[in-house]
Amino acid sequence: MVLLQPAREFWLPKAGNRSDEYEDAYSVLYPESLGASPDEMVQSAVADGASESAFAREWANVLTSAFVNRPLDLASVDEASLIEWLELAQDEWHECVPWDRIPWHGEAKARAGAHATLMGLSIRTDSDNDDQLIWHAMAVGDSCLFVIREGRLQESFPLETADQFDNYPSLLSSNRSASDGLWENARVTSGECDSGDVFILASDAIACWILGQLEAGDEPFEVVMGMDDADWSEWVDEQRNAGTMRNDDTTLVIIEIG
Amino acid sequence: MPYAADISRNNPSCFLFLVDQSGSMIGALGGQPGLRKDQGAADALNRILDAVSQRCSQGMEVRDYFDAGIITYTTDDAGEPDLGSAFPGTAPDQPFLKIGEIADVARVEDRAVRESDGAGGIVEVNRKFPVWLDPTALFGTPMCAALEAASTALEAWIADHPNSYPPMVINISDGAAGDGDPEPIASRIMDMQTSDGNVLLYNAHLSGMSATPVQFPADESELPPDEYAKSMFRMSSQFPEPVWQLAESMGLPAREGSRGYVFNADMVSLVQFLDIGTRAASDLQ
Repeated sequence: MVLLQPAREFWLPKAGNRSDEYEDAYSVLYPESLGASPDEMVQSAVADGASESAFAREWANVLTSAFVNRPLDLASVDEASLIEWLELAQDEWHECVPWDRIPWHGEAKARAGAHATLMGLSIRTDSDNDDQLIWHAMAVGDSCLFVIREGRLQESFPLETADQFDNYPSLLSSNRSASDGLWENARVTSGECDSGDVFILASDAIACWILGQLEAGDEPFEVVMGMDDADWSEWVDEQRNAGTMRNDDTTLVIIEIG
Repeated sequence: MPYAADISRNNPSCFLFLVDQSGSMIGALGGQPGLRKDQGAADALNRILDAVSQRCSQGMEVRDYFDAGIITYTTDDAGEPDLGSAFPGTAPDQPFLKIGEIADVARVEDRAVRESDGAGGIVEVNRKFPVWLDPTALFGTPMCAALEAASTALEAWIADHPNSYPPMVINISDGAAGDGDPEPIASRIMDMQTSDGNVLLYNAHLSGMSATPVQFPADESELPPDEYAKSMFRMSSQFPEPVWQLAESMGLPAREGSRGYVFNADMVSLVQFLDIGTRAASDLQ
Protein backbone atom coordinates (compact mmCIF):
# COMPACT_ATOMS: atom_id res chain seq x y z
CA MET A 1 0.00 0.00 0.00
CA VAL A 2 1.25 3.50 -0.75
CA LEU A 3 0.03 6.69 0.84
CA LEU A 4 -0.71 9.52 -1.57
CA GLN A 5 0.37 13.11 -1.40
CA PRO A 6 -2.60 15.43 -1.90
CA ALA A 7 -3.14 16.09 -5.62
CA ARG A 8 -2.30 19.61 -6.71
CA GLU A 9 -4.43 21.45 -9.23
CA PHE A 10 -3.69 24.69 -11.03
CA TRP A 11 -5.82 26.58 -13.55
CA LEU A 12 -5.94 29.97 -15.19
CA PRO A 13 -8.23 31.36 -17.91
CA LYS A 14 -6.86 32.82 -21.12
CA ALA A 15 -5.60 36.38 -20.48
CA GLY A 16 -8.43 38.79 -21.27
CA ASN A 17 -11.13 36.31 -20.25
CA ARG A 18 -13.06 36.22 -16.99
CA SER A 19 -12.70 33.23 -14.69
CA ASP A 20 -16.28 32.19 -15.53
CA GLU A 21 -15.17 31.98 -19.15
CA TYR A 22 -12.52 29.35 -18.40
CA GLU A 23 -13.43 26.45 -20.72
CA ASP A 24 -10.92 23.86 -19.58
CA ALA A 25 -12.10 21.57 -16.80
CA TYR A 26 -10.46 19.09 -14.45
CA SER A 27 -11.62 16.53 -11.89
CA VAL A 28 -9.69 14.40 -9.42
CA LEU A 29 -10.98 11.51 -7.34
CA TYR A 30 -8.34 10.77 -4.83
CA PRO A 31 -8.16 8.21 -2.01
CA GLU A 32 -5.69 8.63 0.84
CA SER A 33 -3.87 5.47 -0.16
CA LEU A 34 -3.64 3.00 -3.00
CA GLY A 35 -3.16 -0.75 -2.95
CA ALA A 36 -4.97 -1.73 0.26
CA SER A 37 -8.08 -2.69 -1.65
CA PRO A 38 -8.78 -3.25 -5.34
CA ASP A 39 -11.55 -0.65 -5.18
CA GLU A 40 -9.15 2.13 -4.34
CA MET A 41 -8.26 4.08 -7.42
CA VAL A 42 -7.08 7.47 -8.50
CA GLN A 43 -9.23 8.91 -11.27
CA SER A 44 -8.34 12.21 -12.86
CA ALA A 45 -9.28 13.99 -16.06
CA VAL A 46 -8.54 17.24 -17.88
CA ALA A 47 -10.69 18.52 -20.75
CA ASP A 48 -10.33 21.55 -23.00
CA GLY A 49 -13.60 22.94 -24.35
CA ALA A 50 -13.40 24.38 -27.86
CA SER A 51 -14.31 28.08 -27.57
CA GLU A 52 -15.69 28.10 -31.07
CA SER A 53 -18.54 25.85 -29.97
CA ALA A 54 -21.34 26.88 -27.61
CA PHE A 55 -21.70 25.53 -24.08
CA ALA A 56 -18.16 24.12 -24.34
CA ARG A 57 -17.41 24.89 -20.69
CA GLU A 58 -20.39 22.78 -19.65
CA TRP A 59 -19.27 19.93 -21.94
CA ALA A 60 -15.69 19.96 -20.59
CA ASN A 61 -17.09 19.83 -17.03
CA VAL A 62 -19.49 17.00 -17.87
CA LEU A 63 -16.68 14.96 -19.43
CA THR A 64 -14.18 15.29 -16.57
CA SER A 65 -16.83 14.71 -13.95
CA ALA A 66 -18.15 11.65 -15.80
CA PHE A 67 -14.64 10.27 -16.17
CA VAL A 68 -13.92 10.29 -12.43
CA ASN A 69 -17.39 9.44 -11.14
CA ARG A 70 -18.46 6.87 -13.69
CA PRO A 71 -15.12 5.22 -14.52
CA LEU A 72 -14.58 3.59 -17.85
CA ASP A 73 -12.61 0.39 -17.51
CA LEU A 74 -9.65 1.51 -19.59
CA ALA A 75 -8.07 -1.94 -19.40
CA SER A 76 -10.81 -3.31 -21.61
CA VAL A 77 -12.33 -0.21 -23.25
CA ASP A 78 -13.49 -0.71 -26.83
CA GLU A 79 -15.58 1.29 -29.27
CA ALA A 80 -18.91 0.04 -27.93
CA SER A 81 -18.11 0.73 -24.27
CA LEU A 82 -16.69 4.14 -25.08
CA ILE A 83 -19.80 5.10 -27.05
CA GLU A 84 -22.06 3.85 -24.27
CA TRP A 85 -20.11 5.88 -21.72
CA LEU A 86 -20.08 8.95 -23.95
CA GLU A 87 -23.81 8.80 -24.67
CA LEU A 88 -24.61 9.19 -20.98
CA ALA A 89 -22.31 12.22 -20.88
CA GLN A 90 -24.01 13.62 -23.99
CA ASP A 91 -27.37 13.26 -22.25
CA GLU A 92 -26.00 15.13 -19.23
CA TRP A 93 -24.79 17.95 -21.47
CA HIS A 94 -28.19 18.22 -23.14
CA GLU A 95 -29.73 18.60 -19.68
CA CYS A 96 -27.25 21.41 -18.86
CA VAL A 97 -28.23 23.53 -21.86
CA PRO A 98 -31.10 26.00 -21.24
CA TRP A 99 -32.68 25.22 -24.60
CA ASP A 100 -35.74 27.43 -24.09
CA ARG A 101 -33.68 30.51 -23.24
CA ILE A 102 -31.02 30.44 -25.97
CA PRO A 103 -30.92 33.68 -27.98
CA TRP A 104 -31.17 33.47 -31.78
CA HIS A 105 -27.40 33.76 -32.27
CA GLY A 106 -26.70 30.72 -30.09
CA GLU A 107 -29.31 28.37 -31.53
CA ALA A 108 -27.39 26.91 -34.46
CA LYS A 109 -24.20 26.46 -32.46
CA ALA A 110 -26.06 24.81 -29.61
CA ARG A 111 -27.75 22.43 -32.05
CA ALA A 112 -24.35 21.66 -33.56
CA GLY A 113 -23.13 20.64 -30.10
CA ALA A 114 -20.09 21.44 -28.00
CA HIS A 115 -16.60 20.02 -28.50
CA ALA A 116 -13.78 19.25 -26.10
CA THR A 117 -10.59 17.25 -25.73
CA LEU A 118 -10.29 14.73 -22.91
CA MET A 119 -7.33 13.23 -21.07
CA GLY A 120 -8.32 10.66 -18.47
CA LEU A 121 -6.03 8.79 -16.07
CA SER A 122 -6.82 5.85 -13.83
CA ILE A 123 -4.38 4.30 -11.30
CA ARG A 124 -5.21 1.20 -9.28
CA THR A 125 -3.94 -2.22 -8.19
CA ASP A 126 -3.10 -4.55 -11.05
CA SER A 127 -5.86 -7.17 -11.18
CA ASP A 128 -3.22 -9.82 -11.96
CA ASN A 129 -0.81 -8.83 -9.20
CA ASP A 130 -1.96 -7.35 -5.89
CA ASP A 131 1.48 -5.94 -5.21
CA GLN A 132 1.68 -3.89 -8.38
CA LEU A 133 -0.03 -0.60 -9.17
CA ILE A 134 -0.93 -0.01 -12.79
CA TRP A 135 -2.08 3.08 -14.67
CA HIS A 136 -4.24 3.45 -17.75
CA ALA A 137 -4.85 6.60 -19.76
CA MET A 138 -7.17 7.58 -22.58
CA ALA A 139 -6.80 10.65 -24.75
CA VAL A 140 -8.87 12.36 -27.40
CA GLY A 141 -7.11 15.50 -28.63
CA ASP A 142 -4.12 17.37 -27.31
CA SER A 143 -4.56 17.44 -23.55
CA CYS A 144 -1.56 15.45 -22.34
CA LEU A 145 -0.24 13.14 -19.64
CA PHE A 146 3.38 13.11 -18.50
CA VAL A 147 4.64 10.25 -16.36
CA ILE A 148 7.82 11.06 -14.45
CA ARG A 149 10.02 8.55 -12.68
CA GLU A 150 13.02 9.66 -10.66
CA GLY A 151 12.79 13.09 -12.18
CA ARG A 152 12.91 11.84 -15.75
CA LEU A 153 10.17 11.70 -18.35
CA GLN A 154 8.93 8.14 -18.66
CA GLU A 155 5.98 8.72 -20.96
CA SER A 156 4.49 11.65 -22.88
CA PHE A 157 1.00 10.84 -24.09
CA PRO A 158 -0.57 11.22 -26.62
CA LEU A 159 1.72 13.92 -28.06
CA GLU A 160 5.48 13.65 -27.79
CA THR A 161 6.87 16.77 -29.42
CA ALA A 162 5.96 20.46 -29.25
CA ASP A 163 5.47 20.67 -33.01
CA GLN A 164 2.61 18.14 -32.85
CA PHE A 165 0.30 20.79 -31.37
CA ASP A 166 -1.88 22.57 -33.92
CA ASN A 167 -5.26 24.26 -33.97
CA TYR A 168 -7.12 21.15 -35.07
CA PRO A 169 -6.99 18.58 -32.28
CA SER A 170 -9.39 15.64 -32.23
CA LEU A 171 -12.45 16.48 -30.16
CA LEU A 172 -15.32 14.73 -28.46
CA SER A 173 -18.72 16.04 -29.55
CA SER A 174 -21.70 16.45 -27.27
CA ASN A 175 -23.92 15.31 -30.16
CA ARG A 176 -24.49 11.64 -30.80
CA SER A 177 -24.77 12.24 -34.51
CA ALA A 178 -21.19 13.58 -34.55
CA SER A 179 -19.55 10.53 -33.00
CA ASP A 180 -18.29 9.06 -36.27
CA GLY A 181 -14.57 8.40 -36.07
CA LEU A 182 -14.66 8.53 -32.29
CA TRP A 183 -12.75 5.32 -31.77
CA GLU A 184 -10.15 6.20 -34.41
CA ASN A 185 -9.47 9.43 -32.52
CA ALA A 186 -9.22 7.81 -29.09
CA ARG A 187 -5.79 6.75 -27.86
CA VAL A 188 -5.33 4.36 -24.94
CA THR A 189 -2.13 3.41 -23.16
CA SER A 190 -0.99 1.96 -19.83
CA GLY A 191 2.04 1.20 -17.68
CA GLU A 192 3.20 0.03 -14.29
CA CYS A 193 3.24 2.55 -11.49
CA ASP A 194 5.94 2.61 -8.81
CA SER A 195 6.11 4.47 -5.56
CA GLY A 196 7.57 7.91 -6.26
CA ASP A 197 6.11 8.20 -9.75
CA VAL A 198 4.56 11.53 -10.65
CA PHE A 199 1.66 11.95 -13.09
CA ILE A 200 1.01 15.35 -14.67
CA LEU A 201 -2.15 16.08 -16.65
CA ALA A 202 -1.97 19.24 -18.70
CA SER A 203 -4.11 21.10 -21.22
CA ASP A 204 -2.46 22.01 -24.50
CA ALA A 205 -0.78 25.35 -23.81
CA ILE A 206 1.24 24.17 -20.83
CA ALA A 207 1.74 20.68 -22.29
CA CYS A 208 3.29 22.28 -25.36
CA TRP A 209 5.42 24.49 -23.09
CA ILE A 210 6.65 21.42 -21.17
CA LEU A 211 7.68 19.60 -24.35
CA GLY A 212 9.30 22.74 -25.77
CA GLN A 213 11.35 23.17 -22.60
CA LEU A 214 12.43 19.53 -22.68
CA GLU A 215 13.46 19.87 -26.31
CA ALA A 216 15.52 22.94 -25.37
CA GLY A 217 17.33 20.92 -22.69
CA ASP A 218 15.61 22.67 -19.78
CA GLU A 219 13.98 21.09 -16.72
CA PRO A 220 10.24 21.90 -16.92
CA PHE A 221 9.25 19.25 -14.37
CA GLU A 222 11.39 20.89 -11.70
CA VAL A 223 9.50 24.10 -12.41
CA VAL A 224 5.98 22.69 -12.38
CA MET A 225 6.52 20.31 -9.45
CA GLY A 226 7.91 23.18 -7.41
CA MET A 227 4.91 25.33 -8.32
CA ASP A 228 3.19 27.13 -5.50
CA ASP A 229 -0.44 28.28 -5.58
CA ALA A 230 0.67 31.83 -4.84
CA ASP A 231 3.09 31.92 -7.76
CA TRP A 232 1.04 30.14 -10.42
CA SER A 233 -0.84 33.04 -12.05
CA GLU A 234 2.18 35.29 -12.16
CA TRP A 235 4.35 32.52 -13.55
CA VAL A 236 1.89 31.68 -16.35
CA ASP A 237 1.56 35.38 -17.20
CA GLU A 238 5.35 35.62 -17.46
CA GLN A 239 5.49 32.71 -19.89
CA ARG A 240 2.64 34.15 -21.96
CA ASN A 241 4.23 37.58 -22.07
CA ALA A 242 7.58 36.08 -23.00
CA GLY A 243 5.88 34.25 -25.87
CA THR A 244 6.97 30.83 -24.59
CA MET A 245 3.42 29.74 -23.66
CA ARG A 246 0.36 30.29 -25.83
CA ASN A 247 -2.31 32.54 -24.34
CA ASP A 248 -5.02 29.97 -23.73
CA ASP A 249 -6.90 28.46 -20.81
CA THR A 250 -4.20 26.65 -18.83
CA THR A 251 -4.66 23.64 -16.56
CA LEU A 252 -2.25 21.41 -14.65
CA VAL A 253 -2.98 18.52 -12.28
CA ILE A 254 -0.06 16.90 -10.39
CA ILE A 255 -0.44 13.50 -8.76
CA GLU A 256 2.44 12.08 -6.70
CA ILE A 257 2.41 8.42 -5.72
CA GLY A 258 3.91 7.71 -2.30
CA MET B 1 4.01 39.07 -39.65
CA PRO B 2 1.12 41.28 -40.75
CA TYR B 3 -2.49 40.11 -40.51
CA ALA B 4 -1.60 37.95 -37.53
CA ALA B 5 -2.88 40.04 -34.59
CA ASP B 6 -4.75 38.01 -32.02
CA ILE B 7 -8.42 39.02 -32.14
CA SER B 8 -9.84 39.33 -28.64
CA ARG B 9 -12.23 41.51 -26.74
CA ASN B 10 -9.29 43.67 -25.65
CA ASN B 11 -8.06 43.83 -29.21
CA PRO B 12 -11.13 43.54 -31.49
CA SER B 13 -11.18 43.92 -35.24
CA CYS B 14 -13.89 45.64 -37.28
CA PHE B 15 -16.12 45.31 -40.31
CA LEU B 16 -17.52 48.35 -42.10
CA PHE B 17 -20.18 47.80 -44.75
CA LEU B 18 -21.04 50.42 -47.35
CA VAL B 19 -24.39 49.74 -48.98
CA ASP B 20 -25.54 51.42 -52.17
CA GLN B 21 -29.25 52.31 -51.87
CA SER B 22 -29.52 54.31 -55.10
CA GLY B 23 -32.42 54.02 -57.52
CA SER B 24 -30.51 51.84 -59.96
CA MET B 25 -30.35 49.13 -57.27
CA ILE B 26 -34.02 48.44 -57.96
CA GLY B 27 -32.98 46.67 -61.17
CA ALA B 28 -32.62 42.95 -61.48
CA LEU B 29 -29.31 41.18 -61.04
CA GLY B 30 -27.85 40.10 -64.35
CA GLY B 31 -28.97 36.59 -65.17
CA GLN B 32 -31.36 36.50 -62.19
CA PRO B 33 -34.47 38.37 -63.37
CA GLY B 34 -36.42 37.58 -60.20
CA LEU B 35 -33.88 39.10 -57.82
CA ARG B 36 -33.58 42.85 -57.31
CA LYS B 37 -30.11 44.17 -56.56
CA ASP B 38 -31.24 46.02 -53.42
CA GLN B 39 -32.82 42.81 -52.13
CA GLY B 40 -29.63 40.91 -52.92
CA ALA B 41 -27.54 43.50 -51.07
CA ALA B 42 -29.75 43.50 -47.97
CA ASP B 43 -29.91 39.70 -47.89
CA ALA B 44 -26.16 39.36 -48.18
CA LEU B 45 -25.51 41.93 -45.48
CA ASN B 46 -27.99 40.36 -43.08
CA ARG B 47 -26.51 36.93 -43.69
CA ILE B 48 -22.97 38.17 -43.19
CA LEU B 49 -23.81 39.87 -39.88
CA ASP B 50 -25.76 36.78 -38.85
CA ALA B 51 -22.68 34.65 -39.52
CA VAL B 52 -20.36 37.01 -37.61
CA SER B 53 -22.77 37.18 -34.65
CA GLN B 54 -23.11 33.41 -34.54
CA ARG B 55 -19.39 32.97 -34.77
CA CYS B 56 -18.90 35.20 -31.73
CA SER B 57 -21.76 33.56 -29.81
CA GLN B 58 -20.92 31.34 -26.88
CA GLY B 59 -24.52 30.18 -26.69
CA MET B 60 -26.06 32.68 -24.28
CA GLU B 61 -23.85 35.69 -25.02
CA VAL B 62 -21.94 37.20 -27.90
CA ARG B 63 -18.30 37.98 -27.25
CA ASP B 64 -17.23 41.35 -28.63
CA TYR B 65 -14.45 40.18 -30.93
CA PHE B 66 -15.59 42.68 -33.59
CA ASP B 67 -17.08 46.10 -34.04
CA ALA B 68 -19.23 46.61 -37.13
CA GLY B 69 -20.91 49.50 -38.91
CA ILE B 70 -23.24 49.91 -41.90
CA ILE B 71 -23.10 53.12 -43.90
CA THR B 72 -25.89 53.40 -46.48
CA TYR B 73 -25.63 55.81 -49.39
CA THR B 74 -28.12 57.49 -51.68
CA THR B 75 -29.02 61.10 -52.49
CA ASP B 76 -31.99 63.30 -51.76
CA ASP B 77 -34.27 64.33 -54.61
CA ALA B 78 -32.01 67.32 -55.29
CA GLY B 79 -29.02 65.02 -55.82
CA GLU B 80 -27.24 65.87 -52.56
CA PRO B 81 -25.57 62.91 -50.79
CA ASP B 82 -27.78 61.31 -48.17
CA LEU B 83 -25.73 58.97 -46.00
CA GLY B 84 -27.26 56.79 -43.29
CA SER B 85 -25.96 54.63 -40.49
CA ALA B 86 -28.05 51.52 -39.97
CA PHE B 87 -27.48 50.83 -36.29
CA PRO B 88 -29.42 52.78 -33.65
CA GLY B 89 -27.53 55.62 -32.01
CA THR B 90 -24.80 55.74 -34.67
CA ALA B 91 -23.95 58.19 -37.47
CA PRO B 92 -22.10 57.81 -40.80
CA ASP B 93 -18.84 59.14 -39.36
CA GLN B 94 -19.32 57.09 -36.15
CA PRO B 95 -21.13 54.00 -37.43
CA PHE B 96 -19.76 51.32 -35.12
CA LEU B 97 -21.37 49.17 -32.47
CA LYS B 98 -19.88 46.13 -30.77
CA ILE B 99 -21.05 42.83 -32.26
CA GLY B 100 -22.86 41.95 -29.02
CA GLU B 101 -24.86 45.19 -29.25
CA ILE B 102 -25.53 44.49 -32.90
CA ALA B 103 -26.91 41.04 -32.08
CA ASP B 104 -29.18 42.67 -29.49
CA VAL B 105 -30.69 45.19 -31.95
CA ALA B 106 -31.51 42.70 -34.72
CA ARG B 107 -35.13 42.35 -35.75
CA VAL B 108 -35.55 38.60 -35.52
CA GLU B 109 -38.02 36.94 -37.87
CA ASP B 110 -39.25 33.37 -37.62
CA ARG B 111 -39.23 31.61 -40.95
CA ALA B 112 -40.22 28.06 -41.79
CA VAL B 113 -37.30 26.23 -43.36
CA ARG B 114 -37.18 22.76 -44.88
CA GLU B 115 -34.24 20.79 -43.55
CA SER B 116 -32.96 17.26 -43.72
CA ASP B 117 -34.12 15.22 -40.75
CA GLY B 118 -30.83 13.33 -40.80
CA ALA B 119 -32.58 10.11 -41.79
CA GLY B 120 -33.22 10.74 -45.46
CA GLY B 121 -36.39 12.77 -44.98
CA ILE B 122 -37.24 16.47 -45.05
CA VAL B 123 -38.84 18.29 -42.13
CA GLU B 124 -40.13 21.83 -41.86
CA VAL B 125 -38.72 23.66 -38.86
CA ASN B 126 -38.87 27.24 -37.61
CA ARG B 127 -35.56 29.06 -37.70
CA LYS B 128 -34.77 32.60 -36.59
CA PHE B 129 -33.47 35.10 -39.14
CA PRO B 130 -32.01 38.38 -37.90
CA VAL B 131 -32.58 41.49 -40.00
CA TRP B 132 -30.69 44.76 -39.72
CA LEU B 133 -31.22 46.21 -43.18
CA ASP B 134 -34.28 46.25 -45.43
CA PRO B 135 -33.96 46.79 -49.18
CA THR B 136 -34.47 50.28 -50.47
CA ALA B 137 -33.54 51.96 -53.76
CA LEU B 138 -33.95 55.66 -54.53
CA PHE B 139 -32.13 58.46 -56.37
CA GLY B 140 -28.36 58.80 -56.89
CA THR B 141 -25.12 56.99 -55.99
CA PRO B 142 -22.75 59.16 -53.91
CA MET B 143 -20.08 56.49 -53.53
CA CYS B 144 -17.34 59.08 -53.06
CA ALA B 145 -19.21 60.64 -50.15
CA ALA B 146 -19.72 57.19 -48.62
CA LEU B 147 -16.03 56.35 -48.95
CA GLU B 148 -15.11 59.71 -47.39
CA ALA B 149 -17.39 58.96 -44.43
CA ALA B 150 -15.82 55.51 -44.17
CA SER B 151 -12.37 57.07 -44.19
CA THR B 152 -13.32 59.39 -41.31
CA ALA B 153 -14.88 56.54 -39.32
CA LEU B 154 -11.87 54.26 -39.90
CA GLU B 155 -9.39 56.95 -38.92
CA ALA B 156 -11.07 57.26 -35.53
CA TRP B 157 -11.39 53.49 -35.11
CA ILE B 158 -7.73 52.90 -35.92
CA ALA B 159 -6.67 55.63 -33.49
CA ASP B 160 -8.55 53.72 -30.79
CA HIS B 161 -7.23 50.31 -31.91
CA PRO B 162 -3.73 50.90 -33.29
CA ASN B 163 -2.61 47.27 -32.90
CA SER B 164 -5.77 45.45 -33.95
CA TYR B 165 -6.24 43.14 -36.92
CA PRO B 166 -6.91 45.73 -39.66
CA PRO B 167 -10.48 46.82 -40.43
CA MET B 168 -12.27 45.10 -43.30
CA VAL B 169 -14.47 47.34 -45.46
CA ILE B 170 -17.07 45.78 -47.75
CA ASN B 171 -18.70 47.98 -50.38
CA ILE B 172 -21.86 46.55 -51.95
CA SER B 173 -22.86 48.49 -55.07
CA ASP B 174 -23.78 48.37 -58.74
CA GLY B 175 -20.64 50.36 -59.31
CA ALA B 176 -21.84 53.54 -60.95
CA ALA B 177 -20.54 56.32 -58.68
CA GLY B 178 -22.51 59.50 -59.33
CA ASP B 179 -20.33 61.98 -57.48
CA GLY B 180 -16.91 61.68 -59.08
CA ASP B 181 -14.06 59.19 -59.23
CA PRO B 182 -14.06 56.98 -56.12
CA GLU B 183 -10.70 55.33 -56.89
CA PRO B 184 -8.44 57.93 -55.21
CA ILE B 185 -10.50 57.77 -52.00
CA ALA B 186 -10.50 53.96 -52.12
CA SER B 187 -6.77 54.04 -52.58
CA ARG B 188 -6.41 56.30 -49.54
CA ILE B 189 -8.52 53.88 -47.47
CA MET B 190 -6.36 50.92 -48.57
CA ASP B 191 -3.28 52.88 -47.43
CA MET B 192 -4.65 53.28 -43.88
CA GLN B 193 -3.13 50.83 -41.45
CA THR B 194 -2.80 49.43 -37.97
CA SER B 195 0.48 47.93 -36.81
CA ASP B 196 -0.86 44.60 -38.13
CA GLY B 197 -1.42 45.67 -41.73
CA ASN B 198 -3.38 47.84 -44.15
CA VAL B 199 -7.13 48.26 -44.19
CA LEU B 200 -8.73 45.65 -46.47
CA LEU B 201 -11.30 47.03 -48.92
CA TYR B 202 -13.50 44.45 -50.62
CA ASN B 203 -16.21 45.04 -53.24
CA ALA B 204 -19.34 43.09 -54.01
CA HIS B 205 -20.39 44.29 -57.44
CA LEU B 206 -24.06 43.79 -58.33
CA SER B 207 -24.63 44.35 -62.00
CA GLY B 208 -27.62 44.12 -64.31
CA MET B 209 -25.25 42.91 -66.99
CA SER B 210 -25.64 39.26 -67.91
CA ALA B 211 -22.13 37.89 -67.62
CA THR B 212 -20.52 34.94 -65.94
CA PRO B 213 -20.13 35.61 -62.21
CA VAL B 214 -16.55 36.32 -61.17
CA GLN B 215 -15.03 35.54 -57.80
CA PHE B 216 -11.72 36.86 -56.51
CA PRO B 217 -9.94 37.65 -59.78
CA ALA B 218 -6.22 38.41 -59.77
CA ASP B 219 -6.16 40.23 -63.09
CA GLU B 220 -8.37 42.70 -64.96
CA SER B 221 -8.46 40.28 -67.90
CA GLU B 222 -10.68 38.00 -65.82
CA LEU B 223 -13.38 40.68 -65.58
CA PRO B 224 -16.46 41.10 -67.77
CA PRO B 225 -16.20 43.96 -70.30
CA ASP B 226 -17.61 46.61 -67.99
CA GLU B 227 -15.92 49.86 -66.99
CA TYR B 228 -17.43 49.76 -63.50
CA ALA B 229 -16.10 46.23 -62.99
CA LYS B 230 -12.58 47.42 -63.80
CA SER B 231 -12.90 50.38 -61.50
CA MET B 232 -14.25 48.33 -58.57
CA PHE B 233 -11.56 45.70 -59.16
CA ARG B 234 -8.88 48.39 -58.81
CA MET B 235 -10.63 49.57 -55.62
CA SER B 236 -10.30 46.09 -54.08
CA SER B 237 -7.44 44.93 -51.86
CA GLN B 238 -5.40 41.85 -52.65
CA PHE B 239 -6.00 39.13 -50.09
CA PRO B 240 -3.12 39.03 -47.60
CA GLU B 241 -0.91 35.94 -47.86
CA PRO B 242 -2.24 34.18 -44.72
CA VAL B 243 -5.77 34.60 -46.12
CA TRP B 244 -5.33 33.34 -49.66
CA GLN B 245 -3.11 30.50 -48.53
CA LEU B 246 -5.67 29.19 -46.08
CA ALA B 247 -8.47 29.77 -48.61
CA GLU B 248 -6.58 27.88 -51.28
CA SER B 249 -5.95 24.99 -48.90
CA MET B 250 -9.71 24.89 -48.26
CA GLY B 251 -10.38 24.56 -51.98
CA LEU B 252 -11.77 28.09 -52.40
CA PRO B 253 -11.12 29.95 -55.66
CA ALA B 254 -8.33 32.19 -54.39
CA ARG B 255 -4.64 32.36 -55.21
CA GLU B 256 -1.74 34.74 -54.88
CA GLY B 257 -2.82 38.13 -56.18
CA SER B 258 -6.55 37.44 -55.84
CA ARG B 259 -8.52 40.52 -54.89
CA GLY B 260 -11.54 40.82 -52.64
CA TYR B 261 -13.89 41.45 -55.55
CA VAL B 262 -16.95 39.51 -56.64
CA PHE B 263 -19.10 40.24 -59.70
CA ASN B 264 -22.70 39.03 -59.44
CA ALA B 265 -21.42 36.10 -57.41
CA ASP B 266 -22.75 34.84 -54.12
CA MET B 267 -21.78 37.70 -51.85
CA VAL B 268 -21.86 35.49 -48.86
CA SER B 269 -18.75 33.88 -50.31
CA LEU B 270 -17.11 37.13 -49.23
CA VAL B 271 -17.87 36.31 -45.64
CA GLN B 272 -15.78 33.18 -45.97
CA PHE B 273 -12.86 35.45 -46.64
CA LEU B 274 -13.62 37.72 -43.74
CA ASP B 275 -13.86 34.61 -41.66
CA ILE B 276 -10.70 33.03 -43.02
CA GLY B 277 -8.79 36.23 -42.54
CA THR B 278 -9.75 36.53 -38.93
CA ARG B 279 -9.58 32.82 -38.29
CA ALA B 280 -6.02 32.65 -39.57
CA ALA B 281 -5.18 35.40 -37.12
CA SER B 282 -7.00 34.24 -34.07
CA ASP B 283 -6.78 31.18 -31.99
CA LEU B 284 -10.28 30.22 -31.04
CA GLN B 285 -9.67 26.77 -29.69
